[in-house]
Amino acid sequence: MIIVEPKSFEEIEQMTKGCGRLLVLGCETCSAMCFAGGQRQVAEIASSIRMSKKMSQDQTEVLDDTVARQCELEFLDHVKDKVAACNTVLSLSCGAGVQTMAKMFPDRRILPAVNTKFIGRATKRGEWMEMCMACGDCILERTAGICPVTRCAKGLLNGPCGGATGGICEVSKDQPCVWQEIYHALKRLNMLHYLKQKPQVKDWPVHPDKVVRKDLREVGAT
Amino acid sequence: MDNTTHIEYQDFPPCQMACPILTDAREYVQFIAERRFEEAFASIRKLNPLPRVCGRICMHPCEIACKRGQIEEPISIAALKRFAADGPWADHYKVALPGKSTGYKVAVVGSGPAGLAAAHDLALLGHHVTIFEALPVLGGMLRTGIPAYRLPKDVLDEQIQTILDLGVEVKTGVLIGEDIKLSNLFEHGYKAVFVAIGAHEDRKLGIAGEDEIEGVVSAVSFLRQVNQGENPEIGKKVAVIGGGNTAIDSARATLRLCADAVYIVYRRSRKEMPAEEEEIEEAAHEGIQLFYLTSPLEIIGQDGKVSALKCIKNELGEPDASGRRSPKHVPGSEFAIDVDMVIAAIGQVPDSSLLADELELTERGNRIHLNVPNTLATTLAGVFAGGDAVTGSATAIEAIAAGKKVAISIDCYLREESPPTASRTEVVETKKLPSGVVEKTQKFARCHNISLPIDERLKGFDEVKSVFSEDLAVQEALRCLHCGIGASVSTERCISCLNCVQVCPVGAPATTKMGEINIDRFLCQACGICALECPVQAIDIGLHPRGELGQQIKKAVSMSEDTAVVGFFDYQGSFGPDDVSSLKKQYPGIAPIMVFGLRRVDTSDVLNAFEAGADAVLLAGCPSAREPFAAASSGVTQRMAQAKAVLDVLGLDGRRLQIFDMPERGLVDEEHLTEFMHTIADLGPNPLR
Ligand SMILES: Cc1cc2nc3c(=O)[nH]c(=O)nc-3n(C[C@H](O)[C@H](O)[C@H](O)COP(=O)(O)OP(=O)(O)OC[C@H]3O[C@@H](n4cnc5c(N)ncnc54)[C@H](O)[C@@H]3O)c2cc1C
Ligand code: SF4
Ligand code: SF4
Ligand code: SF4
Repeated sequence: MIIVEPKSFEEIEQMTKGCGRLLVLGCETCSAMCFAGGQRQVAEIASSIRMSKKMSQDQTEVLDDTVARQCELEFLDHVKDKVAACNTVLSLSCGAGVQTMAKMFPDRRILPAVNTKFIGRATKRGEWMEMCMACGDCILERTAGICPVTRCAKGLLNGPCGGATGGICEVSKDQPCVWQEIYHALKRLNMLHYLKQKPQVKDWPVHPDKVVRKDLREVGAT
Repeated sequence: MDNTTHIEYQDFPPCQMACPILTDAREYVQFIAERRFEEAFASIRKLNPLPRVCGRICMHPCEIACKRGQIEEPISIAALKRFAADGPWADHYKVALPGKSTGYKVAVVGSGPAGLAAAHDLALLGHHVTIFEALPVLGGMLRTGIPAYRLPKDVLDEQIQTILDLGVEVKTGVLIGEDIKLSNLFEHGYKAVFVAIGAHEDRKLGIAGEDEIEGVVSAVSFLRQVNQGENPEIGKKVAVIGGGNTAIDSARATLRLCADAVYIVYRRSRKEMPAEEEEIEEAAHEGIQLFYLTSPLEIIGQDGKVSALKCIKNELGEPDASGRRSPKHVPGSEFAIDVDMVIAAIGQVPDSSLLADELELTERGNRIHLNVPNTLATTLAGVFAGGDAVTGSATAIEAIAAGKKVAISIDCYLREESPPTASRTEVVETKKLPSGVVEKTQKFARCHNISLPIDERLKGFDEVKSVFSEDLAVQEALRCLHCGIGASVSTERCISCLNCVQVCPVGAPATTKMGEINIDRFLCQACGICALECPVQAIDIGLHPRGELGQQIKKAVSMSEDTAVVGFFDYQGSFGPDDVSSLKKQYPGIAPIMVFGLRRVDTSDVLNAFEAGADAVLLAGCPSAREPFAAASSGVTQRMAQAKAVLDVLGLDGRRLQIFDMPERGLVDEEHLTEFMHTIADLGPNPLR
């Protein structure tokens, strides 16, 4: 899942000053799961901005709505009338959603209400951890399902740096040394010999990357 | 019509499901918790024509089913009914009599609870009802069986009068079957008859000496004398045989008539005793000695009068057909109790001999046989029967249920319509609570009404139990766990984020493999925590839905003219109407909104209040000892900190929002509130107003 973090209300308030008629639009997949983009958050932000506008004698209206995912044109189609009726949209979606909005509604200002952080998972309620850097060349089969690219502070591919003390990373003092974890996991799986393999050169993608699935496209091609 | 046809409910909680007339206990308990006493009474009264009677003597199957009973003790549902029905607000209830009569005459034979309930419901359906009663007095066993210390006669009189006030006619001293035959009633213009003659004949003990020796009496006739103020002659030492309410009442009545020693002899153990647990306790408390696992063998006489009761000890064997373990004599364990009076109270059968030539009776037990059990129709056309006469001695509420049912049957019969089929109902499945839930649920002791001191009691037949005070009733009602009226998920909105699964204090929400969320309606306690934590607002709570709160907030702000302070007050606190009115008087600007815990108030609710123009918002949470979901309080603090931060950014000032702890008694601490009101005055009005 994409992990996002709500921007402070101060920042949002600054951003929306003089924005004209505004639509606060939630995104009810990843962003909602991060408590940053669901209906509940929308209600809170919309009310706050309405008050802010009133305080500065700004008469323009604030509408609100949510869609399942802002990164799909089909879902955005459901709010096109509302968007058309506004000057600006405050998107509570990740960067992909904000940009999809901008693409779909090229003559509207689309503002981000969240900071998009990483691909990760909830480790406990209200805490998320980065799990994957989207490097484009997955090596998890060799590292017992633990990603050193993302989770080793130095991004080492060929084993630990040797600086860990008591199993704790020398750089990120609140994180375990991920190479130590990989070692124990491989040992458990009787796969320690994997460590002896020469690290392969990674095929880093050129950004922006793109994925094209010819196999699928051909099935549904028109 | 509303008064007699059963409403189709969304779901039935365990208490309601257990009640023979499907009283919505959850609803009236809830009304009491919210101090809406008049509505509580209306909720009871719309189904039950004898609420003050039931509030005192009902065997309350609802309490046996009550989910709270699995935590510590059930809600005092019956005592709360009495509270709601005894209060002055009960006078405001108006029955909806139909504008015009149907012109049909219906005869009701017997004025016990079955007959009274039928008369009530039939009158409301527009029929002309006449009650025929053999005795000079009305009420059946409620009057002649149950002594006044449990059901005062003036209460019964008042209850019966409300039914007679519906235009019900009464003919006392008429023994149907002898003075008038059932079939003759039709000649007198009655189009239908309901036979509710009860079960008034005590079963024989079947032991030696019973018939010949003087001083052996039947409980029914003994209690009938007592209850009609005839002061029957009693012994100095009395043994009552039996384990039901009749036995306990006979014993307690004898004690009040100044017997020196009273014993109850029961063949099984206390666990099997059919009498009400509380009654058994009271009897023991009053000094009655109970012999369990004891059977009488013989009544021993001297000069033709009782001198002793020979008994034998029992042990319990295998369960019999009724599921109760049957007693077996222990050889050689005979003993004798010195007594000069024996009261037989081992159950009653109907005295239906007078009707035997017209109605078919059951082979055993002399009960009236029903031709169509669903409509209570007997073998004679137009004649219906119910109550103890059909079931054998049972309970008042079952008799009332029969009376209500027959009213519908008779109405259909008169209109030549087919009787209604049972309405579709959804039942909240009653299960055993997992031990984890029992452990995690905050315990609150059951409230007890005050009992008369023993020496006062034994002076006469004054009512033993008093009615709950308002505060105690509210406190007791707040123990309800709101079965079946808690959280429900909109599957369309849910995004399977699993927050509800994680935050629920009792583990009610669970997920399927495909991520769909089901909230177990039996487990849920309607705390509302999940509804606030759901990021997409897919959950709402049946008890005070979120939409209601939104409307209340808008209304609260629009109502106040001067300074507008929206105050969220926790129902779970300890305060009374006086506290609310004095707060309103002192601070007319404060518009109180009552909530079930501050956990029900979201950040956006507070922001909405300010947006609507509130000058300030205060939240007052109950003292910690009364908080059923203590773990939720940190969430409240966090949400309000968020709202404060927004207010600061907006320049509205976070100090306009404050959380208070309610004092042990009252709504808010005077000193803190004054300080808060000063701060608000200094800050000036909300510029958004
Ligand atoms: C001592 C005692 C204590 C009890 N305690 C409780 C309790 O705490 N809680 C509870 O729920 N239940 C209790 N019960 C049971 C309850 O009272 C009965 O189940 C209930 O009253 C039955 O109602 P009914 O209308 O069927 O009959 P009844 O109340 O027995 O009424 C029948 C009426 O019909 C009249 N009648 C009989 N024959 C004729 C005739 N031929 N013609 C005209 N009239 C006739 C009788 O005089 C009587 O008034 C108790 C019973 C007794 C005896
Ligand atoms: S807890 Fe309340 S709703 Fe549940 S069974 Fe008891 S009285 Fe009824
Ligand atoms: S918290 Fe809401 S969205 Fe999340 S699983 Fe529960 S019902 Fe669904
Ligand atoms: S309302 Fe409370 S008890 Fe019911 S499911 Fe939600 S969190 Fe659990």
